[in-house]
Amino acid sequence: MARKILVDEEMDQTNKEEAHYDFDLFVIGAGSGGVRAARFSANFGAKVGICELPFHPISSEVIGGVGGTCVIRGCVPKKILVYGATFGGELEDARNYGWELNEKLDFNWKKLLHKKTDEIIRLNGIYKRLLSNAGVKLFEGEGKIVGPNEVELTQLDGTKLSYSAKHILIATGSRAHRPLIPGQELGITSDEALSLEDLPKRAVVFGGGYIAVEFASIWRGLGADVNLFFRRELPLRGFDDEMRAVVARNLEARGVNLHAQTNLTELVKTDNGIKVITDHGEEFIADVVLFATGRLPNSKRLNLEAVGVELDNTGAVKVDEYSRTNIPSIWAVGDVTNRMNLTPVALMEGTCFAKTVFGGESSKADYSNIPCAVFSIPPLSVVGLSEEQAIEQANSDVLVFTSTFNPMKNTISGRQEKTVMKLVVDQETDKVLGASMCGPDSPEIMQGIAVALKCGATKAQFDCTVGIHPSAAEEFVTMRSVSRRITVSRKSKTNP
Amino acid sequence: MRELKEPKSRHLPLIGGGPHPATIVALEISTFEPYKYLLSTQRKQISPKEKPHMATSFTAPKLSSPTFQTLCRNLPVFVPIPNTLYSVSRHHQRHHHRLQLQQQRQRRLLFVVRAESNNGSEPLRHYDFDLFTIGAGSGGVRASRFAANFGASVAVCELPFSTISSETTGGVGGTCVLRGCVPKKLMVYASKYSHEFDESNGFGWKYDTEPKHDWSTLMANKNAELRRLTGIYKNILGNAGVTLIEGRGKIVDPHTVDVDGKLYTARHILISVGGRPFIPDIPGSEYAIDSDAALDLPSKPEKIAIVGGGYIALEFAGIFNGLQSEVHVFIRQKKVLRGFDEEIRDFVGEQVSLRGIKFHIEESPQAIVKSADGSLSLKTNKGTIKGFSHIMFATGRRPNTKNLGLESVGVKMSSNGSIEVDEYSRTTVPSIWAVGDATDRINLTPVALMEGGALAKTIFQNEPTKPDYRAVPSAVFSQPPIGQVGLTEEQAMKDYGDIDVYTANFRPLKATLSGLPDRVFMKLIVCVKTNKVLGLHMCGDDSAEITQGYAVAIKAGLTKADFDATVGIHPTSAEEFVTMRTPTRKIRQGPESEGKMGHEAKAAAGV
Repeated sequence: MARKILVDEEMDQTNKEEAHYDFDLFVIGAGSGGVRAARFSANFGAKVGICELPFHPISSEVIGGVGGTCVIRGCVPKKILVYGATFGGELEDARNYGWELNEKLDFNWKKLLHKKTDEIIRLNGIYKRLLSNAGVKLFEGEGKIVGPNEVELTQLDGTKLSYSAKHILIATGSRAHRPLIPGQELGITSDEALSLEDLPKRAVVFGGGYIAVEFASIWRGLGADVNLFFRRELPLRGFDDEMRAVVARNLEARGVNLHAQTNLTELVKTDNGIKVITDHGEEFIADVVLFATGRLPNSKRLNLEAVGVELDNTGAVKVDEYSRTNIPSIWAVGDVTNRMNLTPVALMEGTCFAKTVFGGESSKADYSNIPCAVFSIPPLSVVGLSEEQAIEQANSDVLVFTSTFNPMKNTISGRQEKTVMKLVVDQETDKVLGASMCGPDSPEIMQGIAVALKCGATKAQFDCTVGIHPSAAEEFVTMRSVSRRITVSRKSKTNP
Repeated sequence: MRELKEPKSRHLPLIGGGPHPATIVALEISTFEPYKYLLSTQRKQISPKEKPHMATSFTAPKLSSPTFQTLCRNLPVFVPIPNTLYSVSRHHQRHHHRLQLQQQRQRRLLFVVRAESNNGSEPLRHYDFDLFTIGAGSGGVRASRFAANFGASVAVCELPFSTISSETTGGVGGTCVLRGCVPKKLMVYASKYSHEFDESNGFGWKYDTEPKHDWSTLMANKNAELRRLTGIYKNILGNAGVTLIEGRGKIVDPHTVDVDGKLYTARHILISVGGRPFIPDIPGSEYAIDSDAALDLPSKPEKIAIVGGGYIALEFAGIFNGLQSEVHVFIRQKKVLRGFDEEIRDFVGEQVSLRGIKFHIEESPQAIVKSADGSLSLKTNKGTIKGFSHIMFATGRRPNTKNLGLESVGVKMSSNGSIEVDEYSRTTVPSIWAVGDATDRINLTPVALMEGGALAKTIFQNEPTKPDYRAVPSAVFSQPPIGQVGLTEEQAMKDYGDIDVYTANFRPLKATLSGLPDRVFMKLIVCVKTNKVLGLHMCGDDSAEITQGYAVAIKAGLTKADFDATVGIHPTSAEEFVTMRTPTRKIRQGPESEGKMGHEAKAAAGV
């Protein structure tokens, strides 16, 4: 296959120079974005090298593993634990369906943990194979940028290698960060939380984001006593307010103790466990304290300042719409750029990068209508605008359709938990601006809805779709009556 | 209007010790004007605990709101007055019934006046009702409610409630609620647990003693739910101001219906009597059960034969297998689910077999013999299999059109007994209409709802509306389930010639941990010329839920490029549909293509 190369301004006359580079592309970091960019670039005919730190479930400056956060310390192990924890509620629900189960069910955390680790080791292997099948050369070690076209690799035994590359891609991702409070070393981050030796009996989770909510659900589902602390009135800032309230209510109904508008101020080691002190002066004892207070880009040890790659104040690599940094030969994708920190977005950015640089087709990632899910129990999934965003951005009235219903399964199980769905519609164009759902299977349901939204589907198109009966998803096409209309005052838009 | 609240809450039996408004209620939530408020209020009452900090249910105006009162004042014809609401569901009480009839007369007058002024050519004749519906299932209830919402005076007749249907029993809610979708899905939920117990083992859960299933608990809870739902359906009719008459309706002339000897006249008659299972007449067929009975067995079948290869057979095979019966399925053909995409047929057959269901292919039943010990033997063209506790026939359904008086008034029927209708659901007699399974078009609840809604618009809204049968999605609740929308590969090849087929066959994340042999199969069929997605098929966990959103996209005519432009939700199964980059095979039938016919191309691709 003939190699296609992006026509850079200076590139036309540099055919000879090209030969001097060891690689067309060198990628630092073999997570979702890096692997995708490397593979696709190789498929376009580029000669590609990639480096990654050695494998370990818990990451640090010097350990990581092919597959990255998603596979080793994020989406995948998290979802496995969510599956495990969901059975807790499922098994309770079975009784009213006539199943006779022991009063107390036995759960073996070590078995689940062991199987989870086996699975991520298997996936780590698959990712390595994907790379080698694509003809990408994989190096184990820590990569540093020493020049606009020069990468230095420190191998496990300390020996250093140096490679030149026409393009360098930074795809080093991010890591969980801990708040600077006394005793913070007693707490853990999501990395360790996915690999705990023992299931905590008493867990404290600090944070209101999706990671916090997911771990609260996991531990609670497996029987732990969980206290969740967050600074706002509701968890999941940035999501639709109504749905945030639904998630909070569901967490509470499933037995998570919520502490809104509360900060942790100190952790103290005691014989009985970790003493957690809040800014309200309350004290709690816990076996495990999880900090889910945000993640920071892994940009520190890359020597970026020295080569002049600009970072923002959070340490994220600044890039243009094509993922290019201020140094023309250096690019960055994924969490290290802190745009939208989701695996499928990193994949999209990686793909666009490969197309732009080696596919002869300038491609910008499109950040509109990106669906996402929070794997709380039950999960939340959204695409498009929240009601608040829609009102802020709308040029016409906003119509809100909601449906709150008892899922059919609960009619017999007796579980008191409503599923809530919502469509936000532009009154003038009839376009569906946003969809959200909190309830079983919502992430699976939302994916198809996302295709419709991505293409500007109207409410009329939703309405003319026939339902699949009996499903929860059919509610999205049978929402006939407006729950409320929000009149957008244009004045307030011009005078904020 | 406030006193409404009291009697209404009395109408809502809360069975099972808790507030359980069901999906069904939500499904039936009204589309039109003030009635939506009635229903949302009703829902709120069913669930008194509903979230205090949520805006949703509180934003709908209360009945006593000024808006509603204004509506009442301005639209006397359209708004049922509260006594009607109250009395309908207690129509057995004489004084209420009288009151109700008075109101109907008032409203009828109003309607006639309006009809006259709207259309001078209309012959002035007084009917008891503008619409008389025979059969209060999905289609009948929808059409009746919507017609009433449009201002018509409506009556609907339905047979008395029973879980098993016959010439003399039925029940408000119809097949879907009482003998179809709902009880079936509840049984699927119950039976799925045995697989979930197996799965949970892989996730660290352990059972000291193997979980056992108690049949009677399930049946009791299921039937309580069905009775609750039939009550809700009655309320829905009552709230819409529809008069419910219990009894068997028979058409006497184009404008008259006889219900157990009492005559009612109507400007329009709607037949929505649905269908019933059909058992072929073979020796011993009296020992066989149909799906009605299978949903309400007094005890667990130890060993059951299911005859038939359609979706009903497959769903019941999954149900009984999950509830720990020994299940044998007898199919006439080589594969299950005729009419479905061939690859889906293969895949589901394989997955279902892996869960322990035994298939007997190309085996047709010839006789059933009852042994002295009470067990049943099934004789087929290939031999005899003994020792069944139950033999179920899932060999199709027939329209319930016998003894309705159709022949005598001249309503034309096809050879299988289905009522012939035009695109607006009108029969050969202009004042008689038919929707739902009785017309044997696409026999699905949501399609009957669509037909019923369209009919009400056509007759009473002056807006001729044809139901749109393109891209109707559907699901089979087998284990694993199937979801599909649009064309099969075979249909697409025939209709479009050149198509690209994208498939994925993978082991879902859950199965890698559980260690079970569960897989997921997905398929997209794309038109080469337009890039439009013509069909989407899936078999695996959550297929039904996943397919719905895609149905919106396919109905909207979206292209493969649109699918590709959508970002995935990770990690889900559904994301596979937006990450299918390379066609599994390209089928070219155009004369200008390499001269390869579709089937050869398929063979070449190793299918």
